[in-house]
Amino acid sequence: MIINVQHLTKRYGDIVAVDDLSFAVEQGELFGLLGPNGAGKTTTIRIAMDILHPDAGEITILGQPPDRAKRYVGYLPEERGLYRNLKVLDTLVYLAELKGMSTTTARGRAKYLLERVHLEEWAHRKVRELSQGMQQRLQFVASFVHDPEVLFLDEPFKGLDPLNVERVKELIAELRQQGKTVVLSSHQMNLVEVLCDRILLINRGRQVLYGPLAEIKRQYAPNTIRVRAPHLPATLPGVANVEHDDGAFNLTLAEGSDPQEVLRGLVALGVEIQSFEVAPVPLEEIFVAAVREEEARYGLA
Amino acid sequence: MDWRKVWVIARHEYLVNVRRTGFIVMTAIVPVLGILALLFAALFSGEARKLGESVEKMFDPSAGVIGVVDRSGRFSPILPEYQDRFRLYQSEAEAEQAVLDEDVTLALVIGEDYLETGTVVVVSKGSGFGSAAVSDSLSVRKFFVDHLLAGRVEPILQKRAVEPLKVQSRVLSSSGQRQSEGPWSIVFTFIVPYFMAIFLVMTIFVSSGYLLQSVAEEKESRIIEIIVSSVRPVELMTGKIAGLGALGLTQVLVWVLSVASLSGGAVALLAIAGASLIPARVLTLEVVYYVLGFILYATLMAGVGVLGTTTQESQQLAGLFSLFAALPYMVLGFIFANPNVLIARVLSFFPLTAPTMMMIRLPLAEVPWVDVAGSIAALLLSIPGALWLGARLFRVGVLIYGKRPTLKEIWLIVRRGS
Repeated sequence: MIINVQHLTKRYGDIVAVDDLSFAVEQGELFGLLGPNGAGKTTTIRIAMDILHPDAGEITILGQPPDRAKRYVGYLPEERGLYRNLKVLDTLVYLAELKGMSTTTARGRAKYLLERVHLEEWAHRKVRELSQGMQQRLQFVASFVHDPEVLFLDEPFKGLDPLNVERVKELIAELRQQGKTVVLSSHQMNLVEVLCDRILLINRGRQVLYGPLAEIKRQYAPNTIRVRAPHLPATLPGVANVEHDDGAFNLTLAEGSDPQEVLRGLVALGVEIQSFEVAPVPLEEIFVAAVREEEARYGLA
Repeated sequence: MDWRKVWVIARHEYLVNVRRTGFIVMTAIVPVLGILALLFAALFSGEARKLGESVEKMFDPSAGVIGVVDRSGRFSPILPEYQDRFRLYQSEAEAEQAVLDEDVTLALVIGEDYLETGTVVVVSKGSGFGSAAVSDSLSVRKFFVDHLLAGRVEPILQKRAVEPLKVQSRVLSSSGQRQSEGPWSIVFTFIVPYFMAIFLVMTIFVSSGYLLQSVAEEKESRIIEIIVSSVRPVELMTGKIAGLGALGLTQVLVWVLSVASLSGGAVALLAIAGASLIPARVLTLEVVYYVLGFILYATLMAGVGVLGTTTQESQQLAGLFSLFAALPYMVLGFIFANPNVLIARVLSFFPLTAPTMMMIRLPLAEVPWVDVAGSIAALLLSIPGALWLGARLFRVGVLIYGKRPTLKEIWLIVRRGS
């Protein structure tokens, strides 16, 4: 276990930003910290980065409290920014040195990373001369220039054009191959769900869903099937309701029935199936459902 | 505290800011102005003298030609050596007209009962400024004494009557030893520490300006979040204070050295001569107060300044401390009269005023050792407190964007620490 969070609580005056949150991140994992804006993601990360102190609970990274783990942790904050008047290479070297890297090692590593993101020719130019996309790439590599074991990326795709989104995704994949642990926070759940092994979904500072993404998806498996066919019999086994919709049918499954069984049933009945589709459930919808469920349980709705 | 990180930050702050256009312009401005002044003086030395004279006339009307209406009969005729500066008029009306026509800068009407009362009416144009200047003017005084006593007493007595005493000072310490002799050595022993105190205030102003600017820029660009995730706020603060303190010192040193070299080394010689006359004890203590003072002020300014959301706002907040540093200068009059006056002693025990107060007091007289020990103790005790407070405010302040916190919020920050 690389990161261990136990009963973390953080308040700002009367507002509880993080409310008794517990989770763990394993070695080499790509962990998604997801939730809408204001859910407490950035606060949680800032506590892990030793920028804020929790009111209760604790975080350990590599078994150390945050102030001791700084050397091994990288951070891409949601609010981006670099020294505009500093040279590109000097920026990376300075940030690596602040993490405790020696000047020589920092220099070598910075040069390597600049090559990696095709900025080597800009090494001796000032940051403000770079285009927006170049600055974003520079900012991204700045978060792991000191070769950390754990990397926190807060909204890494915010403000990126599609091309740079792909580049950043590639870099994240590369980091994983190197065995680094990555915690990725985002409110754009659909954009990051494909990347993550496990996720923690939070809302109002509290855990909503937590676990392997595949398992969560299974748990919230769809109960709707879309079938395109000339016509359907009025009653079907395992189907509670049939709705006609623009030349196709939306079938609401009865409780406990399986989409594959329904398909076999349709074939057995000799229905001329043109298409059969189990509607994928986006993470966002799962989130909404889970929040509703929780609110109903606590009587908050 | 990780001192390597402090060093990395200090070096970064120094190197980045020393190359700033703003820094180079500000640093160069004193030598450039000095060179310009020298050129101006060389090219227009004649005009400059004339200009100087007319300015002098404006402020000291007795420097010009003076009209005299003599009813006492003691001043007519005017002695030959005074005839080009004093002119006799027969009536007050004539003299007044001469003042109005600016033939003379002012007129003295000496009454019939002058010997008994000493009353002289001074007629001047515009403000009554001239009358005040006349009573202090040595040349006018000499004019009166010479006319009253010429031929009646020995010339040497006449000279003493004009200037009865020329002061030479000899200050004894409480143990009866001679501390210094002559007005020059007093000036020397005073000037160097006095300028050191000014030096301190200047370095504090200059460095804190750069400090606030550097933090404000990091806050504005939001890179501060990466920085505080890499180093502890106290390390960041210490590094900045060290680096920008060195920067401020560089600037002030360039100023002082340029003034020294442009004045043909006169100022430098004065400083060296002064330093050699100052007892080693005083000089050592001056340096101690300089260092302790800088640490205290810079720490507090960093902590408070970081709460501002713009450089300007930060400067206002931090200006509060400059006021304390300058406070001893406001009571300078009392201190000159008696360096151990109660207010001076009280301000010496208050950490925020102690450095400048003691730097001013030390060379003036023997300061009681209680005051020295007390003020150093006050500084040594308050510096850890300031560091703690500064780091606490700094830690939270660096993340405050957009809105300046209220006093209540600041109090909460200090109490909770995050």
